[in-house]
Amino acid sequence: MSLFKARDWWSTILGEKEEFDQGCLCVADVDNSGSGQDKVIVGSYKGYLRIFNPHPVKLGDEVQPEDLLLEVQLREPILQVEVGKFVSGTEGLHLAVLHCRKLCVYAVSGTQGNVEHGNQYQIKLMYEHNLQRTACNMTYGPFGGVKGRDLICIQSMDGMLMLFEQESYAFGRFLPGFLLPGPLAYSSRTDSFITVSSCQQVESYKYHVLAFATDADERQDTEQQKLSSGKRLAVDWVLNIGEQALDICVVSFNQGVSSVFVLGERNFFCLKDNGQIRFMKKLDYSPSCFIPYCSVQEGTINTLIANHSKMLNVYQDVTLKWATQLPFIPVSVKVANFQDLKGVIVTLSDDGHLQCSYLGTDPSLFQAPKVDSREINYEEMNAEMKELQKIIREATKTQDVLPESEKQRDVTVTAEVSPDLDEESQAIDSEVKAGAVPSVTVKITIQSRVAAQKPSLAVCVQAPLAVTCDQFVFGDLEPDSSETVVLSVFLKENCSPSELEGTCMVSYNIPTEMNLCSFILGIPRVAQCNFSLPLKLICFPAQPSKAANHKLTIDTNKPPISFVTIFPDFVDPSEGDQANVLGFEFLTGSKTTLLASKTSQRYRVQSDQLEDLWLVTKELIHRLGVHFKKQNCKDFACTFSGSIPLQEYFELIDRHFELRLNAEKFQELLSERAVQFRAIERRLLTRFKDKTPAPLQHLDTLLEGTFREVIALADAAEENQANMFQAFAKLKSATHLVILLISLWQKLSTDQVAILEATFLPLAEDTQELGWEETVDAAVSYLLRTCLSKSSKEQALTLSSQLSMPKDTSRLKKNITLFCDRLAKGGRLSLSTDSATQQAAVMPGGCATIPESDLEERTIIPGSTAMFSSNGHITKQKSKP
Amino acid sequence: RRQGPRRLPRAASPAAPVLRPGRPRRGPAAPRQHQRGRPLSASGPARRQRGGRRRGPGRSSAGAPAGEMGLEPLFQASSYFRRRKFRECADVCSQLLERPPGEQVAGAGPYFTFYFILIQAAWNLKTRALTEMVYVDEIDMDQEGIAEMILDENAIAQVARPGTSLKLPGTSQGGGPSPAVRPVTQSGRPITGFVRPSTQSGRPSTMEQAIRTPRTALTARPITSASGGCVRLGTASMLTNPDGPFINLSRLNLTKYAQKPKLAKALFEYIFHHENDVKNALDLAALATEHAQFKDWWWKVQIGKCYYRLGLYREAEKQFKSALKQQDMVDTILYLAKVYVRLDQPVTALNLFKQGLDRFPGEVTLICGIARIYEEMNNISSAAEYYKDVLKQDNTHVEAIACIGSNHFYSDQPEIALRFYRRLLQMGVYNCQLFNNLGLCCFYAQQYDMTLSSFERALFLAENEEETADVWYNLGHVAVGIGDLNLAYQCFKLTLVNNNDYAEAYNNLAVLEMRKGHTEQARALLQTASSLAPHMYEPHFNIAILSEKVGDLQRSYTAAQKSEEAFPGHVDTQQLLKQLKEHFAML
Repeated sequence: MSLFKARDWWSTILGEKEEFDQGCLCVADVDNSGSGQDKVIVGSYKGYLRIFNPHPVKLGDEVQPEDLLLEVQLREPILQVEVGKFVSGTEGLHLAVLHCRKLCVYAVSGTQGNVEHGNQYQIKLMYEHNLQRTACNMTYGPFGGVKGRDLICIQSMDGMLMLFEQESYAFGRFLPGFLLPGPLAYSSRTDSFITVSSCQQVESYKYHVLAFATDADERQDTEQQKLSSGKRLAVDWVLNIGEQALDICVVSFNQGVSSVFVLGERNFFCLKDNGQIRFMKKLDYSPSCFIPYCSVQEGTINTLIANHSKMLNVYQDVTLKWATQLPFIPVSVKVANFQDLKGVIVTLSDDGHLQCSYLGTDPSLFQAPKVDSREINYEEMNAEMKELQKIIREATKTQDVLPESEKQRDVTVTAEVSPDLDEESQAIDSEVKAGAVPSVTVKITIQSRVAAQKPSLAVCVQAPLAVTCDQFVFGDLEPDSSETVVLSVFLKENCSPSELEGTCMVSYNIPTEMNLCSFILGIPRVAQCNFSLPLKLICFPAQPSKAANHKLTIDTNKPPISFVTIFPDFVDPSEGDQANVLGFEFLTGSKTTLLASKTSQRYRVQSDQLEDLWLVTKELIHRLGVHFKKQNCKDFACTFSGSIPLQEYFELIDRHFELRLNAEKFQELLSERAVQFRAIERRLLTRFKDKTPAPLQHLDTLLEGTFREVIALADAAEENQANMFQAFAKLKSATHLVILLISLWQKLSTDQVAILEATFLPLAEDTQELGWEETVDAAVSYLLRTCLSKSSKEQALTLSSQLSMPKDTSRLKKNITLFCDRLAKGGRLSLSTDSATQQAAVMPGGCATIPESDLEERTIIPGSTAMFSSNGHITKQKSKP
Repeated sequence: RRQGPRRLPRAASPAAPVLRPGRPRRGPAAPRQHQRGRPLSASGPARRQRGGRRRGPGRSSAGAPAGEMGLEPLFQASSYFRRRKFRECADVCSQLLERPPGEQVAGAGPYFTFYFILIQAAWNLKTRALTEMVYVDEIDMDQEGIAEMILDENAIAQVARPGTSLKLPGTSQGGGPSPAVRPVTQSGRPITGFVRPSTQSGRPSTMEQAIRTPRTALTARPITSASGGCVRLGTASMLTNPDGPFINLSRLNLTKYAQKPKLAKALFEYIFHHENDVKNALDLAALATEHAQFKDWWWKVQIGKCYYRLGLYREAEKQFKSALKQQDMVDTILYLAKVYVRLDQPVTALNLFKQGLDRFPGEVTLICGIARIYEEMNNISSAAEYYKDVLKQDNTHVEAIACIGSNHFYSDQPEIALRFYRRLLQMGVYNCQLFNNLGLCCFYAQQYDMTLSSFERALFLAENEEETADVWYNLGHVAVGIGDLNLAYQCFKLTLVNNNDYAEAYNNLAVLEMRKGHTEQARALLQTASSLAPHMYEPHFNIAILSEKVGDLQRSYTAAQKSEEAFPGHVDTQQLLKQLKEHFAML
């Protein structure tokens, strides 16, 4: 990240597919021109040696042919190039080239031509050394304090330092503890070699210690095996830096102080002569190369550090002074003087980009790409905007719920329940204990008039029932095509269902005209239909029984019909026409008997359990209705005169409520045990962490015991949950029955029945936090306060705003009884009145009651844009921490 | 003071509904390119791999050039390593290691001994290359899991003194901005300008609370266990080689390796970073430090790292301290400070950082560490001071620029914040968050011409739906500011389409509904908002006002109390409460 980029002064690309690394770049006045003009010497791993003399005509110009002074291909890869006083008898600069197995020293000379491009340069081999070992890198300097000449030290890949006194080989020493060669540098002030070993230490070896140590070569023949140890070499000082180093530089810009700079992989160190850290800096990037170049301010040293994110940072000690962007990742960086320009930064990348640049305030060339802007036609845009706003307004009018427009029924789904049970039962994993569980086939057809994308079908039946497969995914539907699936429904759990109905729902997308983005799939739509299942699915004919605990009598205004006509599927025709008694046995084992009075227009339903009456009663009334409708008899009506079996109903409520209380108890116990478990865990952890092992003092036994308790409790809670589910199914059946009886008794209209159903059968799931009891209680008391209220005084009663589980069911029972009383006294169920009463209630006093708690506690469920208008707020409310 | 366009006008009554102030994206999660493992995204620990950038394209060149020109393979490998071409380096090393011994020996007697050195060197280099490929700086790895928080036995006091703990975000002493101005995260800290792992986590007080918090990328629910994030980092070991792992840890004789310090260090890093096997790493480090006669600070630091990972903070502290005694190192100081932060001793950590600064003056990471701790302790002004110090040392520090920028924004100086964000843009940060922040600053600095184009660009650059939601939310703010309530309504709706957990948008929608007189709608929206974000005071306060207006004083009182709990210093809430209390007293 930088504000500026390096300004290009001169640049070129070297060769094709050549490789370069750290040692391949050197900057010096190699041809001894004396003008103080530096040349750039580059060697490559392909063996090319090039010397450049950059002098651009104008900034950023193409390379002139005469800039390249010399290009030779040497036969071996060039690992490193250095320039120094390598030839005896002269103080002129010579070029040392390190190959894998050879060290060559060349003299570079030029002859002036008449014109500039007539200049000729050549190299002359002064001497060469063949090396016994593979070289890695080298350093040079006035070892031992010699004046006016430079000696060369080569590090081999296997850790030997080979020293050459110009034309002659001096000696070789193995470094102790060597594994991989690290960077090598020579410090003339202390006359020592500094390297970073594989032990991640900076090590310094004095030259004279090296010189006087036992010669490695002498011992070569006799003690081959110990070569690698080389233990006689004593190290001057060692500093553990804890990482590998990329490069080392030794510089002294002002008299007396010299510093060793080490560029590690993660940090940058400056060391004193004696190996103590002068300063260090943690780098938050991966550096690639560096060079300390001068001291601008007394006591500080400026350093260039390049990194792998193509940045070149200028530091003054540890303070970042400048950051600039480079066009490539440099492997080597130098500072050179050209013509009149001092301090040009020369960088080389590993694929041969050579650049001479300088710092400047050219902004880094990051340009944000243009967001594609079209010509704006304001009129069109306005028109479109108006159109869209109209649509939005339409949509928002309907309170955020998308209207289901009947006209556009593009996809219809129909379900057909086969009249007979399956010959071979399709039931899987049924828990019903009866021998054979029957199943019935449902055929679902999806018809589409338009193209529907990704239609998927979900089939849903109430819980004790189950389907063989409840999810179907189809491929995209063509216009005017259809899909058909077949599935079976059966009784899965061992209790009677409260409803014999199922729903199937298709969701699909219809493609839009403007498919602007590929990821918008179209407009999501749904289509659904209901189907009802035959009674035969859950019960079969059985012997009628005379005695029963619960009896219901249904009066009609028509003469009784023989059961053979209305229950042909249950009555054996051989029994004769006058069958007036019929027995049903549910798969779960309970029995219900249906009796028709021979004389009066009455039917009687009886059973040992209240909830078992429901399905049979419903079926009876339904079939009677169908029968009379067939005979075009319009004034048929059923009535119920007896008292509503509230007492038995309340027993079921109590049973359900008791189980809920149990569940709560289990939950409390569980959380208690869990807390205990964690406490034991924590103690154990402290024990285990302790340095001195202490006895566990049976904590482990305690832990295991608690664990068992938790598991046992969880099992019990699960069992309780299953029981509660059954109890709730029974309660629902009984509730349905009560609603039916009330409506028959008071001859309620369908609207009123709908209100009754909404009151007693909330859509919300029965959960621990928000159960059936409090929901129904709130709904019933709402009705009592509004349309069934006796006086306006009652309307002022306030409810608590939060629904919570009641302590007992007495209030609910009282309210239901009162509700039946009021209905009996001629109360009318209607919701239209309550808006009037509500208005009246709010108007007079500023402190009037809030109309209704359960209806207004609506919460938008995240995940759906629709609002829940069902009475009962979502459990989320209570999970507030 | 300039009349800020952030709130709906309050003139109507003392209890006017409060809009949630605009929420700039936290931080240009701007990749400071190749910054070592400083995690920038909200999604967990940094998985920025230092290496591996060149894996694909450069691969073809492996091996071939080495043979042609007779370059020594080991030299070639180490050259690749230096240039961070780790894949190629590992390939060359593998070739070396697979080469039959006979080829090496080939007649030359003396070289037989070097064969073993060569093999060791190649092995060492490959180990290092594989490690570097997956290296993430351990200092930046910071995730605290539920298990660690709940089973934390290091707590000294149940209720810490103000200003000595990171667990109590409320104990602000630096005069930080109030939540009315600067939104807070779920754990009650002001939103920072730069996303780091620790800015996300909160410390729940109980297990139940921890589990209940919804876990999305943007909430404060801690991960289940700290090892979770690390497990995924360690899977590198399974990918690297189809023939099985390079080093089979179970067959390794750690004692043998511990006696060879030159191999042991590379091996340790391999086990720790690549295999992510802390237990074996610890065994090796323990043996090695014993072999080094406890004189090598590096091993102590590594043991400390292992202990830290294992949750043995006190032991880690001991090791780091002992290492520091031997050799002052920046990394060791950072590790030790990390231990103190985890032990909830921010003051000790601060002192340590300051001591470190005496030894290494101007070290950016140390100053930055101080600033982060101050920020977490809610001492915003000190944090800003230190971030400024960071910039004095390194003026390209993205985190510091972003944090100072957001601080200026929230202290009502959008013009200055704008300059900081613009600086980031000039430096090459180019992402949705930055343009979003720029747009917001432009708007509040009344440079309206730039506002919409900035947001347009932000939408263009948004990478996921959460970011889009943020931009729409802020656009909604702009719309409220210019009075186009229809546009505002639609913007907030679009926010919810993109991210339907956006509590702030629910709140603001509710305020708009309230204005229209749709009390029921407003109440439903507010209830959703308050259940989504119980830490925000605005929905509670708005419910209180709404209920008070329609005369439901009881509910108004409850909601006002909740609001006061979330933001004790809110004057309007206090007034409302007072008013309600008087009312009740009258009754």
